[in-house]
Amino acid sequence: MTAFLIALAVTSAVTTILAVLMVIADAYINDYGEVTITVNDDKKFTVEGGSSLLSTLKEQEVFIPSACGGRGSCGLCKVKVVEGGGDVLPTEEPWLTDEEKKDSVRLSCQLKVRSDMRLQIAEELLNVKQFTATVASLRDLTYDIKEVILALDEPGSIEFKAGQFIQLEVPEYELTDEPVYRAYSIASPPSQHNRIEMEIRYVPNGICTTYVHKHLKEGDKVTINGPYGEFHLKDTDKEMICIAGGSGMAPIKAILLDMVEKGSKRKVQYFFGARAVKDLFLLDEMKALESKLSGFKFIPALSEPDAEDKWEGDTGLITEVVARHVPDASTMEAYLCGSPFMIDACVKVLKEKGMPEEDIFYDKFA
Amino acid sequence: MKQSKELDQIQDQMRPGVITYQGFLGNDTRKLRDIIESDDEAVKRLGLTHRKIARRLREFREAGKKGLSIPVKVEDAYEVRSDSARGKLPCPFMHAGLFAKAYTIVRCLETEGEIIFTDLNIHLIEEHGFYGGRGSAYRLDPERLASELKVRI
Repeated sequence: MTAFLIALAVTSAVTTILAVLMVIADAYINDYGEVTITVNDDKKFTVEGGSSLLSTLKEQEVFIPSACGGRGSCGLCKVKVVEGGGDVLPTEEPWLTDEEKKDSVRLSCQLKVRSDMRLQIAEELLNVKQFTATVASLRDLTYDIKEVILALDEPGSIEFKAGQFIQLEVPEYELTDEPVYRAYSIASPPSQHNRIEMEIRYVPNGICTTYVHKHLKEGDKVTINGPYGEFHLKDTDKEMICIAGGSGMAPIKAILLDMVEKGSKRKVQYFFGARAVKDLFLLDEMKALESKLSGFKFIPALSEPDAEDKWEGDTGLITEVVARHVPDASTMEAYLCGSPFMIDACVKVLKEKGMPEEDIFYDKFA
Repeated sequence: MKQSKELDQIQDQMRPGVITYQGFLGNDTRKLRDIIESDDEAVKRLGLTHRKIARRLREFREAGKKGLSIPVKVEDAYEVRSDSARGKLPCPFMHAGLFAKAYTIVRCLETEGEIIFTDLNIHLIEEHGFYGGRGSAYRLDPERLASELKVRI
């Protein structure tokens, strides 16, 4: 019995000593001290090492887009690390092309800040800000799409291009034990500096869309950051084709409202696809644009209208409708927003109609 | 039988917060090996194979894809919509490559029952016989799949 107790005591003591040594070692090994991050050979930050580059930059109010909250599952947070990045990690490999690896592009959520770093970040990302806002209005546009209007609190004003998106922070709630960010297109025009409008479609089991559809209330305080994205109107006079479905309406609406405000004379055909009347929304608002924007035509189309819909408009898949209305797209420009399935099918049709691929711009939910 | 170290590592990948926030295991406390074995037995009892179930899911996925994110009727018995969220996911079994966050919603018009699955679900069933842990948001019960989706023997 005594021998057993001695053995137990010795084992416990050894375990405790090892645990203490591990804690001490961890503190020393992971203590990278202060490191300097230089951005675009211009801005310099002195930070504590040890965190991911993504979160370190966020602490310095440099917001790199990330749709997965740093879990390495969206591939959006790419940053060019000119110096101090070390070797590409296995968790980054799937996201980086050979060209990107050669160009020192890294996934900032996976890369830890361990030594001084030199980064190159697109100037527009350095203009991204974090905002606090109040939910001013919530409205069901369809059974699964909600309009969310945010009034900006601090800062109270945002500059963006029509077509860009912001990231909405979802706080801890039953589906997540830490804040997560998701990207949503801005539906309001850039002239409205103090408010952000979004159209958010419910995604089954989606952390953010479940929060927005089932928990968010008017008056709630939220955090957003932005603006982001390369999807915006190009400065040409080409006739335009816009194609969207579901919440893809948002950036197209922002582009059209911006064109109205700027007195654009460009010809635009806007094809909006849905299954039945219950899936359509903002019809009156879009139709009203026909009188405000010379040369604008709104063409909603239903793929499978219900009998009670008494639909007299276009029918068929949106690709079929576009093909019927557009005999020759070779001199036009296209702006598309929707799922990869829809975008890929539309790009194929537009190319068949003669549109050069470089004149097709899209925001693909991928 | 004891679970292999490799399966231990895979089970770690499936925990909440590693690949997805909610993870793949729900509130299932069983070892991964037991979860897979239990579903494998269920599939065998149904006279089916994981490949047959995955093939049926893929049929719905392809039919839904043609609707370009708009619901389409399939076999006059289902309403199917395939859509996608931003981002991609790796396979927790550490297969190379990434899976788009594409999902398919199959609504059985007769029972009003709804089954939601992702492209990754199809892969996990087909290649690994994994249907998700109990209580997981993306758990696909083999018996329910077989009856609601009429998977042919």
